[in-house]
Amino acid sequence: MENVIEVRDLEKSFQNQLALKKVSFQVKKGETIGFLGPSGSGKTTTIKILTAQLHATAGEVKVFGEPIAKLKDPTYMKRIGILTDNSGLYERLSIYDNLALYCDLYEVEKKRIAEVLATVNLIEESQKIVQKLSKGMKQRVTLARAMLHQPELLFLDEPTSALDPVNTMHIHQGLKKLNQEGTTIFLTTHDMQEAETICDRVAFLHNGEVSLMDTPENIKTQQSTSSISLLLRDNRKVVVQKDEAGAKEIYNYMKVGEIVSIHSDEPTLGDVFVKLTGRKLL
Amino acid sequence: MNEATTVLSTYPINLALIIAGAFIQAAMVAEEKEKNTLRGLLLSPASTLEILIGKSALSGLMTILVIIGSIIFSGYAVPSLLLFSLSILLGLVFYLATGTILGLLSRTVMETSIIGMPVLVIFGMSSMFKPMVENATLINIIELLPNEQLNQIWFGLSDGKGAADILMNLFILFLWVAVSFLLTIVIYKNRRFD
Repeated sequence: MENVIEVRDLEKSFQNQLALKKVSFQVKKGETIGFLGPSGSGKTTTIKILTAQLHATAGEVKVFGEPIAKLKDPTYMKRIGILTDNSGLYERLSIYDNLALYCDLYEVEKKRIAEVLATVNLIEESQKIVQKLSKGMKQRVTLARAMLHQPELLFLDEPTSALDPVNTMHIHQGLKKLNQEGTTIFLTTHDMQEAETICDRVAFLHNGEVSLMDTPENIKTQQSTSSISLLLRDNRKVVVQKDEAGAKEIYNYMKVGEIVSIHSDEPTLGDVFVKLTGRKLL
Repeated sequence: MNEATTVLSTYPINLALIIAGAFIQAAMVAEEKEKNTLRGLLLSPASTLEILIGKSALSGLMTILVIIGSIIFSGYAVPSLLLFSLSILLGLVFYLATGTILGLLSRTVMETSIIGMPVLVIFGMSSMFKPMVENATLINIIELLPNEQLNQIWFGLSDGKGAADILMNLFILFLWVAVSFLLTIVIYKNRRFD
């Protein structure tokens, strides 16, 4: 499968401080990739370089097989969608008018507005003035704007950071649908559950370095302990190893009907991140 | 009509160009920057020219309306509509480009008035200060400024001169337009980057 994004030895420094250190990765067509990391880890810097909003200090970045400089070409801009950390919406215009303006810029038919507004659960509010919207609603409008022209590649910088669980679920469903229709998604987040829900692969970014990149399942399996937790009737929690002795212990508890619950100890992505970096995903 | 009278009667037109053309344009562009809407446009497929023309259309129209009003109120008799319109067009493009540059260089709408102050003094008031200046070099520099070119064109036309007589003034004005336009594009394209 062809690579939509290719990054090799990417480095970015701000006033002699290295924000990205030899970052290398590829994103294949149709994938949803999540860059996980705490604030200041280099997630937004990465997305800004990939969308040609920031110059790289060193390294090679290719999008659609072309050097990043080509992204400034209007033909390439039509192929990508970007959700940045600040909304950039026209405050005095309605949601509909904001999207209509971008329909004109991207040469998209106006009927698409209703589709994207349904995806972000804002169809009823289309005539509301942006100035009067909550932060979460503005974020959903910005997301709708990024999806308006059904881009081949969608960059999302913390797409659900200001949203409640219901709207987060709406957005996740919308992104999954968009991905099924062929859009490659590159997102940054510090929400590990979001990464697990929608990403095919995730990368851990810590201090400007990619410390791990794999599918969420593989990461959790590789980092899982070889133990099983049992909850007994007397509320005791017993941890046994996944070996013959452990199996016998479980059998003995089962024989006397002592076990209330049994589950293998699998770490969350957050647990793995803390284990690898010593930092929490905040 | 002598030069002094012409300068006085055309001064409102010059002021309209700089205030309505440059300063309104600067405020509009700075507001787009301040509210991050400019970034959205920069990252869209719209070309630089399309965005710049789109952004200048409203302030351009407003400036033309203010100029028409200024002509009516100052009682300035437009000598040759075609050549006068050509000079206004060149002046308008120059001041809109200057306003766009001011807006792009300012971080906020408020900042445009601070950054724009030297522009107002140089391009707006230098013709008024010229009679008080004694330094020959400074007078030569003032005489090359776009507002002074416009004054010389309008004075020439009022004095019955034709296109051939004001050709040099039009050429110098055109150079100002070309330089300001190129500078606008360079600065605008650089604003794409953080």
